[in-house]
Amino acid sequence: MDITNLRFLFYGYSAAWLIVILFVLLLVRRGSRIDRELSRLKALLADRQR
Amino acid sequence: MKRGLLAALSIARKDLKTELRTKESLNASASFALVILVLFSFAFDLDRESIYAISGGLLWLVYSFAGALIVNRSFARELPNDCLDVLIASPTPAWSLFLGKAIAAFFLLLIVEAISLPVFGLFYNISWTGVFWPLLLTISLATWGITVVGAAFSAVTVNVRLRELMLPVLLYPVLIPLLIGGMGMTTQLLSGNMAAADRNQYLRQLIAFDAIYTALAVYLIEFVLVV
Amino acid sequence: MREKAVYACAIAGIALMVWNLHTIFMGLPNDALQGFIFRIIFIHVPATIAAYCFYTVALVTSILFLARRNFVYDSISVACIEVATVLILVNLVTGSIWGRNQWGVWWAWDLRLTTQLMCFLLYLGYLLVRPAITEPTQRATLSAFIAIFAYADIPLVVMAIRLPNVRTQHPGPVLETGGLAPVYVAPFVIGIFVMLLIGTALILVRLQQESEQREIDSLRRELHAL
Repeated sequence: MDITNLRFLFYGYSAAWLIVILFVLLLVRRGSRIDRELSRLKALLADRQR
Repeated sequence: MKRGLLAALSIARKDLKTELRTKESLNASASFALVILVLFSFAFDLDRESIYAISGGLLWLVYSFAGALIVNRSFARELPNDCLDVLIASPTPAWSLFLGKAIAAFFLLLIVEAISLPVFGLFYNISWTGVFWPLLLTISLATWGITVVGAAFSAVTVNVRLRELMLPVLLYPVLIPLLIGGMGMTTQLLSGNMAAADRNQYLRQLIAFDAIYTALAVYLIEFVLVV
Repeated sequence: MREKAVYACAIAGIALMVWNLHTIFMGLPNDALQGFIFRIIFIHVPATIAAYCFYTVALVTSILFLARRNFVYDSISVACIEVATVLILVNLVTGSIWGRNQWGVWWAWDLRLTTQLMCFLLYLGYLLVRPAITEPTQRATLSAFIAIFAYADIPLVVMAIRLPNVRTQHPGPVLETGGLAPVYVAPFVIGIFVMLLIGTALILVRLQQESEQREIDSLRRELHAL
């Protein structure tokens, strides 16, 4: 088999991985933002109620 | 059922009457369609053969742009003075309100198309009078598809921020099968080589699209309007 | 509990995938016509099958939301649709690379490819329109409506290569016609499970975020009331 065939196989698999990894990074970033917001709001609420 | 249909007709009559008095979306949409037709003539430098080959695509792009402008106002028209809330609170069922809006938008878009079709024939040297009746059938079927889906998404996006942007984003992907059918049928009609098998295939595609989406929209609109 | 489920799904999915990759690259013979490249099928098709499973879940939960007005259903819908749309993107990109190698073009406008792209755009519209609606009940209702509308495209994609008189660039159905040689069936099926497990892990993470987001919203309201 010629080598271009293997190269395109490599492109295909790495593209698929890249997309999934990017999505996971996006999820993690959104998760940390939500966590920060949640703890900030909880602290604020505890502060107000005192 | 019968009362709902009558209510739908009176809603449609009301919409058409207000629109024909103010002509706000009609003027905007018709002039937009003409501007696009002029722009396309610069975009492509074509000989006679290839004009016929792209005629259907050209025509339906113009019509679907104009249609988005029309249906955008369909529900948004009722926002001032809280008319939409009153209409929803009235004993008219939601589906006949929606159907009335769709019928009104259908006739408005037909008016815009009736204005731009002769201009299209004139600018691009395409004769369409010979196939007028089959063309009218194609145009009516595809226009009903555009307006029924468009009115449904108009109801969805009426309270959304950036409504004018969101409607096309949602609308055009749904319309793809309809536009493929309409474009193919129109191109073959105008260039005069309509194969019977193709014609049946396109007609079936258009009718199936209209039937499925009309049923879906009429059935689901209750949940969207009465939130 | 939910965290454990996420880890279980992710670890099972990744372990299964590593084993499957080993079989795919070390154990399988090359395809007679396509050589190495056919191995993309073990990502390309399972990604779509898993995505359609998730879209179907989202369809059911969207209908349930309209019927019962419970926000849990809305969260499940959005989590499923987001992950499934990523999987559809994987399918489109790998398919495009495969097509470049085998057909010589990155993209062909045949019925299969067009309807699949349309599916991607429809659900992208769903994900784009959600943040634009501020009121939660309204957002959930309207997105459920859009999800049901968008699902009408999926039978079309499935039928696109099975209709009698449609010319397509895309190969016909290989699964039910026995076009897939018996040695390839096992890694293919395992590939589907890999995608389902990894997708489920991501969906569970997304669900957790949705419920935290709802908590944030209610805390905000509480703060506002004070």
